[in-house]
Amino acid sequence: MRFWQLSLRSFKETYRDPLALGFLLAFPLMFMLLFGAAFGGDTAPSYTIGVIDEDQTTVSQSFVSEALASVPTIEITTFTETNTALEQLELGDLRAYIVLPEGFGEQVLLSWQDGEADIALNITYDESDLMASEQIIASINTATRAFARIEIPVTINANPINIETEITNIDYIAPGIIIFGLLIMIPTSARIMLRDKENRFLSRLLTTPTRPWEFISSYSLSLVAIAITQIIVFILLGWLFGMDIVGSILLAFLIFLLTAICSIGVGMVIASLTKSENQGESLSWLFSMPLAIVSGVWFSVEFMPSYIQTLAHAFPFSHAVDAARAVITRGVGLEAVSGDLVFLAGWAAGIFILGTILFGRTMRS
Amino acid sequence: MTGRAAKATGVNDTFAIETFNLTKIFDGCLAVDGIDLAIKKGELFALLGPNGAGKTTTINMLCCLLKPTGGTARVMGYDINQEPYKIKEVIGVSPQETTLSERLNALENLNLIGRLHGISPRKLKTWSKLMLETMGLAERARDQVRKFSGGMKRRLNIALALIHNPQILFLDEPTLGLDPQARRAVRQYIARLNGDKTILLTTHYMDEADFLADRVGIMDEGKIAALGTSVELKTEMLATHTMVVQAWNLTQKVVNDMRSRYTQVAVDKGSMTISDQRLDFKEIVDQLHAAGAVVRSAHIKEPTLEDVFLKITGKGLRE
Ligand SMILES: Nc1ncnc2c1ncn2[C@@H]1O[C@H](COP(=O)(O)OP(=O)(O)O)[C@@H](O)[C@H]1O
Ligand SMILES: [Mg+2]
Repeated sequence: MRFWQLSLRSFKETYRDPLALGFLLAFPLMFMLLFGAAFGGDTAPSYTIGVIDEDQTTVSQSFVSEALASVPTIEITTFTETNTALEQLELGDLRAYIVLPEGFGEQVLLSWQDGEADIALNITYDESDLMASEQIIASINTATRAFARIEIPVTINANPINIETEITNIDYIAPGIIIFGLLIMIPTSARIMLRDKENRFLSRLLTTPTRPWEFISSYSLSLVAIAITQIIVFILLGWLFGMDIVGSILLAFLIFLLTAICSIGVGMVIASLTKSENQGESLSWLFSMPLAIVSGVWFSVEFMPSYIQTLAHAFPFSHAVDAARAVITRGVGLEAVSGDLVFLAGWAAGIFILGTILFGRTMRS
Repeated sequence: MTGRAAKATGVNDTFAIETFNLTKIFDGCLAVDGIDLAIKKGELFALLGPNGAGKTTTINMLCCLLKPTGGTARVMGYDINQEPYKIKEVIGVSPQETTLSERLNALENLNLIGRLHGISPRKLKTWSKLMLETMGLAERARDQVRKFSGGMKRRLNIALALIHNPQILFLDEPTLGLDPQARRAVRQYIARLNGDKTILLTTHYMDEADFLADRVGIMDEGKIAALGTSVELKTEMLATHTMVVQAWNLTQKVVNDMRSRYTQVAVDKGSMTISDQRLDFKEIVDQLHAAGAVVRSAHIKEPTLEDVFLKITGKGLRE
């Protein structure tokens, strides 16, 4: 198959070039190390959490005194009144408070008996303190599941309220950085095709009966191999810096892979539209940097004007960030992120069709 | 198969390449100016012209890399605008610039192009071995191409055009940048291919066109200025003959005497160049003696394609 031969060639050209390969792996590595050092640290942050036990059963009481108390990252203060807890939250003495609703114990007992239960918790936290709250939710989720001996994530009714604080955390930061690493596959992808264009090897290939889709998919296939390596490195590094993947690692991988394919597709479109490596690379950075910011890879974009958020949502990367965070920090399943996944897959398909059309148009000037 | 396609489109079966008012304009720059060519199957046709004449642009349109601004062409009966992929299946191209995949070895380069043309790996194994031997690259078959010398790259560049045994071969300045020895080897190889395949070759070396081509098209400023076999061009286009005489005692009297007899006489340090429509070797030597000059040597200068080019365009091939 022609496209397979071309992929092999592209792949060989890359892995036989130590400098290019080094750059491909070192660049994301550097980013990860930088952010990891800034946000990871070895001291795991400890959060003070308020608990209001409205259930008041033996089960709920032992949940607080055993399950929650054993979570290393949180310290428990019990309250009888929601209002006092809220006051403390607003003062900054609490990072969040949990309400165990009536019937909590009953549901846990149910789950112990036959496994079918609807366990719910209500958690209130500062919405600007996203990173901490993501981790708190993740920890409590894990603790509850261990206590109830269930596989599925517990329903956590999150109730963010607005209080000013600023604390960051690797669990929140890491998925965004990984998406950023994959976003910068745009210039990489464009560069690989443009190099062939600039040194005219592509012209020679164009004198063979190879079709546009075969060119686009062969360049992409070799890039996907690189992307997979990058994703593995990212996840390993994130894990080294203390990122917990609460949800399915496969699901997270799928999200990252689709993101990489979208980036590669954008790279192919840019390479089809430009003539030289310099031109293509500048255009790639010009496109991917602002997009990275508005896609929320570093910080929440909720403070940005709504039209910017709408614009960001037209591209796959903000969806990828949301989905990756949901899976990694909250452990949501396939169903919860299926909308984002469909968007990513659709976008990837669309951009490849566009790339093929543009390449076909420009291959004969 | 080509026969059937040709019949279907009602094309003359004897021509491998036909162009019809083929024109290319690059933002206001007229690179190819409405050329009409008909190259027979099995013919080796050379486009001879200086840099910028439009030779490469013509080839690039014929191998479907460039869209013509006007006119069209047929390659093996297929229209370049309608059926580019059909054409790409039957052609082999050696571009003017050496274009190789630098981090693949010679064998891998050959295999890649061969496979893209749908040649089976088994056939390729024997063909690429043969090709590497022919081009004198067999010993370096497994070395990455970026380590090759310019001449070696150039030979591989030609080999890549041939690896799939195409019916039509486009060779754009095949000997450009080769040392004289390698140039001779490549020319001999091309000469051996002649007759078997249709070859369109471009060059700005007139001796190359003279030596290799069945027919020569002289190209200048996007136009075909003259067309024919090398002999036709030289005899028909050059009505004048030239004789070069080395002599002592070329006095002003001798020069004036000769100028009165022949249309063009030039003297340069003991050497006299005489041109006219008709020259008689013995007569000239006798006349020189009679005027008092002592002739050391004399020869009739054979016209070259360079002279033809100079005559037609009023300028040299290399400037
Ligand atoms: N891609 C291009 N864009 C603009 N002008 C071009 C391009 N390619 C060739 N030309 C111009 O067209 C003319 C013919 O060029 P070319 O076909 O390369 O000549 P040759 O091969 O005979 O040396 C030249 O004047 C050249 O500058
Ligand atoms: Mg040229």
